[in-house]
Amino acid sequence: MTGGAVADNPGRLYVNDKKAPESLRDLRKIEEALQGNLGRAREATVGIELGEGGAGSGVIVSEDGLVLTAAHVSGGVGDDLVIITADGERHDAISLGLVASTDAAMVRIKEGGPFPFVEIDADDTARLGDWVFSLGHSGGYDDARGVVVRLGRIVRVADVTIQSDCKLIGGDSGGPLFDMNGRLIGIHSRVGASLEQNMHVPIREFHRNWDKMLASEFIGEGPFAKKPEPAKAYLGVAAEAREEGGVEVTRVLEDTAAAEAGLETGDVILEIDGEEIEDMENFLEVLKGMEPGDKIELTVLRDGEDKTIEVELGER
Amino acid sequence: MEKTRQSKSSWASARGLLTAAALGAMASVSPAQQLEGPYRLNGSAVLQAFEPLREVLQSSSAVLLDDWKSFAYGLVVSPDGYVLTKASELADRDEMAISIGASKFTDVEVLATDVEWDVALLKVDAENLTPVVWKDGEEVTIGSWVVSNGSTSRSRRRARVGIISANAREIKGSSNVVLGIVLKTEKDQIVVEDVKEDTGAAEAGLQSGDVIVEAEGKKMEKREDLLDLLGDKEPGDILKVRVDRDGEEMDFEVELMERHRVFDGPQSRNDAMSGRFSGRRENFPRVIQHDIMLSERSVGGPLLDLEGRCVGMNIARANRSETFAIPAAEVQAVLERLLEDSR
Repeated sequence: MTGGAVADNPGRLYVNDKKAPESLRDLRKIEEALQGNLGRAREATVGIELGEGGAGSGVIVSEDGLVLTAAHVSGGVGDDLVIITADGERHDAISLGLVASTDAAMVRIKEGGPFPFVEIDADDTARLGDWVFSLGHSGGYDDARGVVVRLGRIVRVADVTIQSDCKLIGGDSGGPLFDMNGRLIGIHSRVGASLEQNMHVPIREFHRNWDKMLASEFIGEGPFAKKPEPAKAYLGVAAEAREEGGVEVTRVLEDTAAAEAGLETGDVILEIDGEEIEDMENFLEVLKGMEPGDKIELTVLRDGEDKTIEVELGER
Repeated sequence: MEKTRQSKSSWASARGLLTAAALGAMASVSPAQQLEGPYRLNGSAVLQAFEPLREVLQSSSAVLLDDWKSFAYGLVVSPDGYVLTKASELADRDEMAISIGASKFTDVEVLATDVEWDVALLKVDAENLTPVVWKDGEEVTIGSWVVSNGSTSRSRRRARVGIISANAREIKGSSNVVLGIVLKTEKDQIVVEDVKEDTGAAEAGLQSGDVIVEAEGKKMEKREDLLDLLGDKEPGDILKVRVDRDGEEMDFEVELMERHRVFDGPQSRNDAMSGRFSGRRENFPRVIQHDIMLSERSVGGPLLDLEGRCVGMNIARANRSETFAIPAAEVQAVLERLLEDSR
């Protein structure tokens, strides 16, 4: 709500820098911005089916189907889920990492695409009082109704929670909160007793934990997800599936088994102990069956050549 | 359909919705900033920008009062006192009156009712009123601002604002009328399992254990046969029923009642967080949906766009985040039929 915010963020809607809209013109500008960004935002908002008939929401943030949602929706790491895209198609998906203390989580659609996706507010520009809109499959996926949108302002800001007056309800959990440029600024988490208490995980919490979540880590302790069994084998890479098979290392985390063994970003893991790796699911499945301290042999494609790397698995 | 949707709707299953108390504890990690009330979506400073629309509500919306307490709103549809409102909110009103602008009318006549859409046509003795201006042509689109009646004082209407928030569609539900009995099927017979108090069935003298043999002179072989018969009936209609009670055939005439007056809908977890929603919130042929915070006592009035044109009539508060309105074109068609009926 200062001049500085405008300078930092040239696309920013000018009404955001007024304490309140002053005229029908200001209101129409809000409406134009909302309607201009709504189509894409609705297309990228997904329903997530849970066991026991429960339902949540999420949003696709990459062409190949990376989905951001809430930890209490994804529920764990490496779990199978079903995602329903806005066109009604059902997709198999797997939960990646989550932050149990703040309710952030990632899920990946296993196959298909390219998917419609939204841009993330990378510079964390959302401010108190900004106009925002919230999407979700309220009460579960409903084909005739479609994704539900609500308008509001950011009414409270704290480090790991933002609050808006966009009215949320069960089923919206994990759905996206957008700024007036259609950039993702938060993920729906929970509501309080009053209609004004609608809580979202700010996008900065996802930025902070991005690589670990991609690497399917269970982060933190807290009310939003139950910790898995301890002492799971841990390699220490973020990876993604490749069309031709194998998984490509997109990041090697510091002080992990992978770093020690000399794995590098761009390496493609083709085999683990002679077992062919086809995709992420397969990769995580194979690692799941191993113990910390196990010595494994990776067949890796680096600069066009096969290479064998020995790794002693660490502990998560 | 509503039921299916509700049953799926627990807040991300049993994993839990945290209460405000738990949030308070989390938010205290760092000092929080808050936006003061007047600057929130429906705060007084924001509503200032909607003043031209509030003025439309002032002249073209009606406040329905029972013993001087408002229980619904209505649309003024003619200069000489025709008003539309939500029909099912009119039941059991003792001393109905209507406020329009600063005037009060106590001579309220209910001229006609459309059960399918839950709309009633009322008439008060007035002249020179300002009817709503309909938005003709293209239906209001998703993401558009809309304005409804908020709380009201004796002489001043207030606005509440929001946006169109989903696709226009049918809201399915069970038949609108019921006998007031719970049925079960036993040995291929339709058996009355329970008779609800204060219903047509109780008044007529039906008893649990009765086997329904015929209705309207037709043989009843399965419960669907009976439900089919109710499909095109209205509250107050009489259904002739023949039952077998301990081997003896007996005839009854049962007055039908609105479903929601007899059976409460399912109370899901989402309902529990939704405050006071409308008694009837399903079974509408077509609605548009918006996110204005109404309650069961604030539906029935006009839904306006930023130009002040009427884009619909609020017909139900469904839950915490969903309010339904009948689209303008359909309201006008219902109005024409009701005017015809009342002549």
